Amino acid sequence: MLRTEGLRACYGLFQALFDVNIRVGPSEMVALIGSNGAGKSTLFRSIVGSVRVSPQSVWLDDVAVGGDSERRQLDRGVVLVPEGRRLFPSLSVLENLQLAARNGRRGQWTIERLFDELSVLRPLGKRPATSLSGGQQQLVAIGRALVANPSYLLCDEVSLGLSPLAVTDVYGLLRKASAGGTGIVLVEQTVNRALSESDRFYCLQKGRVMLEGESAAADRAKVAEAYFGV
Amino acid sequence: MSEPAVLSVQRNDDGGARPWRFAGGLPIALVLVVVVLALLPWYADFATERLLVEVFTLFAIAFAWNLLAGYGGMVAIGQYAFVGIGSYSLFAISDAFHLNPWLVLPIATLCTATAALIFAGPMFRLSGAYFAVGTWVLAEMTRIAALNTGWLGAGAGMPLEMIGEFDRWSRNAYVYWAALVVGVGSFAIGAVVLRSRLGLALMSVRDSEAAALACGVPATRARLSLWVIAAAITGTAGAVSYMSTLQVTPDASFSLNWTASAIFIVVLGGIGTIEGPVIGTAVYFALRETFADFGAWYFIGLGSLAVATMIVAPGGAWSLLARYANIDPFGIRRRMPDDASGNHRRSDDCPA
Amino acid sequence: MAIACETLIDGLLLGALYALFGLGLSISLGVMRMINIAHGDFIVVGAYLTSLTMQLAGVQPLASLIVVVPAMFILGWLLQRLLLNRVVGGSMFAPLLVTFGLSVIIQNLLQETFTADTRSLQAGDIAGRGFEVGSISIGILPLLSASVAVLLFALTHLLVARTHFGRQSRAVADDPATARLIGVDDKNFFAVVTGFVFAVIAIASVLYAMRTPFSPSAGPERLLYSFEAVVLGGLGSLWGTLVGGLVIGVAQLFGARISSGLGPFFGHLIFLLLLLARPNGFFNRQAR
Repeated sequence: MLRTEGLRACYGLFQALFDVNIRVGPSEMVALIGSNGAGKSTLFRSIVGSVRVSPQSVWLDDVAVGGDSERRQLDRGVVLVPEGRRLFPSLSVLENLQLAARNGRRGQWTIERLFDELSVLRPLGKRPATSLSGGQQQLVAIGRALVANPSYLLCDEVSLGLSPLAVTDVYGLLRKASAGGTGIVLVEQTVNRALSESDRFYCLQKGRVMLEGESAAADRAKVAEAYFGV
Repeated sequence: MSEPAVLSVQRNDDGGARPWRFAGGLPIALVLVVVVLALLPWYADFATERLLVEVFTLFAIAFAWNLLAGYGGMVAIGQYAFVGIGSYSLFAISDAFHLNPWLVLPIATLCTATAALIFAGPMFRLSGAYFAVGTWVLAEMTRIAALNTGWLGAGAGMPLEMIGEFDRWSRNAYVYWAALVVGVGSFAIGAVVLRSRLGLALMSVRDSEAAALACGVPATRARLSLWVIAAAITGTAGAVSYMSTLQVTPDASFSLNWTASAIFIVVLGGIGTIEGPVIGTAVYFALRETFADFGAWYFIGLGSLAVATMIVAPGGAWSLLARYANIDPFGIRRRMPDDASGNHRRSDDCPA
Repeated sequence: MAIACETLIDGLLLGALYALFGLGLSISLGVMRMINIAHGDFIVVGAYLTSLTMQLAGVQPLASLIVVVPAMFILGWLLQRLLLNRVVGGSMFAPLLVTFGLSVIIQNLLQETFTADTRSLQAGDIAGRGFEVGSISIGILPLLSASVAVLLFALTHLLVARTHFGRQSRAVADDPATARLIGVDDKNFFAVVTGFVFAVIAIASVLYAMRTPFSPSAGPERLLYSFEAVVLGGLGSLWGTLVGGLVIGVAQLFGARISSGLGPFFGHLIFLLLLLARPNGFFNRQAR
């Protein structure tokens, strides 16, 4: 179980997160819903170590892991797929994957397996990573995180700017990861898709969790209220 | 409609209190100090005068360096070129036309300013560390040029012939007063500039060039103005300094040591503050008078102090003082932006 | 004509050495976005280390590489780990000013330890030997230096293109924040990079010391030549640095032909003129 407890995060004098409690278990798909500036990216970056937080605010299997570096969180199996894909332009698709695989943990997700699951990527291996289409890049970005064999995968802005077909591929990959035991927290702007693809959800607004629950039983009206703050 | 939440700001970084500023007392105090200093030739000996000439001119050069780096974002390692250009123009023109050196001083300032304008052509294509080393390349070129120019005396340099016209007391006094004017004047110019539109423009560009440009701030013109002003100050200070030594040589006037001293003063005192160079100069000379006999070890100590300051207290002595005492005498406080790379790396822990 | 050819060849051979000076700078600029102002001073440190090794062990300069290269690697590793890691990635000032202070410290330490006198290495049999091609004479030592330089460039290229270390370097150069996300451990990685840079400096310094007398204050000039090579070549381009170095070397020697004291001056002049013509260098691949 990966969870946060009373998580507070600040950028200098500006507080971005107030007392945030979320959790995700193995094989769970959890959706994080909220408008821009709500604090979703900050939440992810706090968990994974890019933003320093107190040790007791993030727990992994009952061990306080808050505030550790990105490298250490990667070693523990908590990996972030950042907003905007952020593939390395100077590296090929294959090299992007090799880098993560070498730095990450051993496990069921190898580059071979990734290419098996996403056969469309295999012929693109040698191409510069950023020369791919948006959808393909997103698949590579998620794949790059997967080959580090995370126990918990945080996906920021999964489907932003992608065609419907690409979105389907992306969610297909995420479901396979989840089926393999990885717990997934994803940020999805389209509320309906977020709720239909996830087991549970949290609504974030201005750094606070305003609403949470089971996705299947979600009250759309309440979610809209939490999202927009009206 | 719920209340729009605003930025939740935890605290004012001054602790909420307005900083203490000199009120009406400041101008009077300053005038008094300047008057006392101006009367110095009548109550001090030549050695003291000479030392103070060094203090004022080096202060001016350091102050100019601080303007460029702390307010303009331009680290100019090659600033020493202007020391050489200022002093050589003074000597060359005074010797060639047999003119009173003090009358030539403004011309030397003009020459340096012109050189700065010309240098800006290639230099302003560079930025950051590249600008820093680029100015160094340029400065080396000027040094080598002076070294190899026969009518400037080549390696042996030139004397200041016309100064022989004056008796010793007058010569020392006039040089001292020129240095006093340069020292006080550079500070005054700096204060005026920084509180002017130019200063505002510079600080906005330093904080965020993209935002400043979007607001219509003429960034390049602002930097160019600052560059020329700083060069003029440096050239004038250099010229006065060499009036005191009576001989200008390429290796001494086009020496990196000028910039090194300026950097130490500014770093120790507090970069990007108007008070920093004042403290820095005091500390620098205190250290020098005490430890210069140690030769190379003195420089090693100075370098180590600068390195340690940059790492432990990047704002220098003044920042420590200002933080604890919460003072801002001249109303021009600014802080160095922390992270130019835009990465929110390790943010501060949230205030408890 | 023969003189012009000879000057050209000598210039290219000298330029290759300058390129080697620049190689280390190019790497640390690319990966850590940092100019080490003391870069040239560390080249001089390597030269003194070589001299010391030769004295103590009684070996030829090239043999002293066995000691000097690892020693410099460790020095670079420690420097980055203990000092420079504290200033990387923040404002532009701190690395500049810290390494400037370092430069002063090193020059004065060298002066204290070895006096301000210039020193030269006994390069042994190699120095002064040459061979004739037509009416042009080529020195063995310059040819050796140039060959080693090109070899090192090729090796570095392979390192960057084919190894995990190289992939990490390129990733960090592209996007340091994301590189951290996929497990690049800044502190250790940068230390290894600087160690590598210093190993390159070590080789450059031995070759340099074998052909030129050096003194504690020789550092800044080496830095300027390195800088010119890197900037002319274009940032982010390894082979560009080689080209940049060659240009500077040729410019300097032709300048020295015109007037013997003005070699470096012409190098600087050509640098500035070319900079005006192509502000981003010949093969620029990275935003400054």
